[in-house]
Amino acid sequence: MSDIALEVNHVSIDYKNLMHMSLHQGVLKGDVKRADIIRAVDDISFTVEKGKILGIVGRNGSGKTTLLRSIAGIFRPDEGNIDTKGNRVSLMAIGIGFNPRNTGRENILKSGMLLGCQLDYVKEHMDEIIEFSELGDFIDRPVRTYSSGMYSKLSFAVTAILDTDIMLVDEVLSVGDEHFRKKSYAKMEELMLSNRTVLIVSHATDTLKKFCDEILWINDGKFMQLGDTEGVLSEYDEFMNL
Amino acid sequence: MSKNLKGVFRVVKMLIIVLGIAGIIWTGLHQFNNRNIMMEIETEQGKQAIFISNDVIAKGQFTTILFEDADEVRLKKIKFFGQWKSVLLKELSYSNVAAYVETIQQGKMHTESGQLVLTGNGRICMEMNASFVKMMQELSASFLQERLVIMGLIASLAAIMIIVCNAIQEKLTENNWNNHGPIYDIKRFCRDLVKYWQYMVFSAKADLRAEVADSYLNRLWWLLEPFFNMLIYVIVFGQVMGNSIENYATFVFSGLLMWNFFNKTVGYSVKLVRSNRDIVTKVYIPKFVILISNMMLNFMKLAFSMIVLLVMLAVFKVHIGINVIWFFPAYLVMMLLAFGVGMIFLHLGVYVDDLSYAVGILLNMLMFLSGIFYNVMTTLQDPLNGMMLCLNPAAMFIDTMRQALVYNTVANLPVLGVWFLIAIILCYIGIHIVYKNENSYVKVV
Repeated sequence: MSDIALEVNHVSIDYKNLMHMSLHQGVLKGDVKRADIIRAVDDISFTVEKGKILGIVGRNGSGKTTLLRSIAGIFRPDEGNIDTKGNRVSLMAIGIGFNPRNTGRENILKSGMLLGCQLDYVKEHMDEIIEFSELGDFIDRPVRTYSSGMYSKLSFAVTAILDTDIMLVDEVLSVGDEHFRKKSYAKMEELMLSNRTVLIVSHATDTLKKFCDEILWINDGKFMQLGDTEGVLSEYDEFMNL
Repeated sequence: MSKNLKGVFRVVKMLIIVLGIAGIIWTGLHQFNNRNIMMEIETEQGKQAIFISNDVIAKGQFTTILFEDADEVRLKKIKFFGQWKSVLLKELSYSNVAAYVETIQQGKMHTESGQLVLTGNGRICMEMNASFVKMMQELSASFLQERLVIMGLIASLAAIMIIVCNAIQEKLTENNWNNHGPIYDIKRFCRDLVKYWQYMVFSAKADLRAEVADSYLNRLWWLLEPFFNMLIYVIVFGQVMGNSIENYATFVFSGLLMWNFFNKTVGYSVKLVRSNRDIVTKVYIPKFVILISNMMLNFMKLAFSMIVLLVMLAVFKVHIGINVIWFFPAYLVMMLLAFGVGMIFLHLGVYVDDLSYAVGILLNMLMFLSGIFYNVMTTLQDPLNGMMLCLNPAAMFIDTMRQALVYNTVANLPVLGVWFLIAIILCYIGIHIVYKNENSYVKVV
C-alpha cells in the first residue's frame, strides 16, 4: 500500500440559482426566489493513492467538472472536506490567465506563476515548454496570432511540464494534430510512470482504458461506482446505451 | 468557547456601538466655545498673519486691517484658519475682498490683473464694513470642520475597537477551518501578498506591454499620451478659458492624474471577477491579487504621467518648497482608499450585474464634486465647501495634494488623518468579506 495523496470525504456542492441577480429581476419581479438550490455533487467520497491515475466518468452535467474544481481549491465544498495532504494541485485547463496580446513567452510565465510556481522555476523550464509546444518562432509573437491548435498546444505544454503533485485533467487530451496528440499521450504515460497523481475527466473510454488504474462513475452528482477500469467502464457503457 | 464568553463579547460590542453613536451625537449638539481666528493675508510682498481672539470678534471690534510702511499693497487673497493651522475655513480671493471693504483711509483701491491694488502714502488702513464683521462672527461661532473631524475620529475608533474585540474573541476560540477572524485574515493577506508578489508585478508589466504591443510608436506612447493630454489642458484651460486660478493648467492636470488613478481602480474592481473569469474559474487565486496587479498597472502609467507633470512644473516655474512632502501622504491615503473601496465593490459586483453602471454614474458625479477643475473652497457656497472637504475624500486628497505641490501649503491634515484611519478600516473590511465569500464567486459568474 502506498501513501494516500488525496482524500475526499462526503463532499456536497450546491449551486444556488438566482444568486446572480440584476436589479431588473430584483425590483421589477418582486422577491427573488431563494429556494432554487441545485445540488451538483451529492455526498461523494473517495481516496486516491499516490502515483495512481483515476478516471472520472459520467454523463454531461453530472458534476464532474464541479468536483475537479473544488479539488483544485477554486471553491470550497458546502459540506464535507477535501484533504490534499499538502500536495500542490493544478487543474489542467486551456489557457489559464492568457492575455492574447502578450507573447507566448510572457503567457507561459504568467500562467506558470498562477499555477503557484516561482518565477525562476518557470524560467528554468521555459525551453522545455517551448520545445514541447512545438511553436518555434511563434513563441515571441502575440498569442492572438496563434491558431486554436497552437493555443491549446501551448497551454497543454505549460501544465504538462511544470511539476505539480496532483494533476486534474478535464478533457484536454484531444488537442492539436495527430502528431501532437501522440506526443501528449506519451507525456501522459511518462507522468503515469513518474510519481504524479492524476485525475482525468473524459468521455473517451478508449483513453481512460489506456491510462487509468481506477474509474469513478458519478451520475447526477451521486456516487455510482468506484473500481477497476474494465469493470466500471463496461457497466457504464451498458448504462449509457439504455 | 463557552456561551457566556460569547455573550460578554456581544455586550461589549453593543456597548462600543452605543458609546460611539452617543459620542457622535454629543459632538454634533455640544455648544463649543467660539474659536480664535488666524487671518492670513497674501500679498505680492509676502504673507502676513493676524491673530484675532474670539472676544474681539464677538464684540465686533475687529474692523480695520493695517499695512504699515507701505505705499502700495497688491493683495491676492485672504485666508481664514481656526485652531488647526492646516484646515482652511474660508478663502476670499481679491475680487471678493472688495465687497467687504467700507473705505480706504487716505487711499484708493482698484483691481488689476488678478490683484487688488491698494495705494496710499506710508500707511494703508482698510476699514471693513458690517458684513465683514458678521462673516467673522459666523466663522468664529461655527465649529463645523472640527465637529466633522471629531465625529469621523469617534466612528473610526469605535470600528477599530470592534475589530480588536473580534481579534481577542478569535484568540480565545478554538481554531476551525471556517475561521475568519481579523488575525487569521490579516496573516493570510500578508502571506498571500508575499506569495503572489512576483505574479502581481509580472502581470502588471505584461499588461502594460500588451497595451502598446501593436501600436506603431510602441513604448513611446507611455510618455506621449500623458504629454498630449497635458497639452490639451494647457491650451484649453490655460489659454482659452483663462481662469482666475494661479497656474491653472498645472492645477487641473495634477488633480486629474490623481483622480484618474482612483477612478480607474474603483471602476475596474466592480467588473473584476467577471472580466477575469478565465483566471477565476480555472485556478485558485486570492481576488485581491488581481486588483493590486491592476493598481500596479495604473501606478506605472501614473509614474510616466508624473514625468510629464514634473516637466510642466518646471516650464511654468511653479515654486516648489518643503511642504511638497505632503504630496506623498495624500497619495498614500488615496491608494489605500481606492483599494478598500475597490475590494468592497469587487465583492458586490459579483452578485449585482447593474452595479458597474451605478458605480460609473457615481464616480462621474464624484468627479465633478471633487473640484478637479475648480477650487472647492472658493467656488462652492459657504457651509458646503467646508463640508465637501471633510466628507468627500476625493475632494480632500486632491486639495491636499495640490496645495502641497502647486502652492507649497500644508492643507487638511486632521481630515487626512481621519480618512487614513477610515481607509485602513475599509481595507480590512474589504479583505475580510472577499476572503469569506470568494469561494462562491465561481459559482455565480
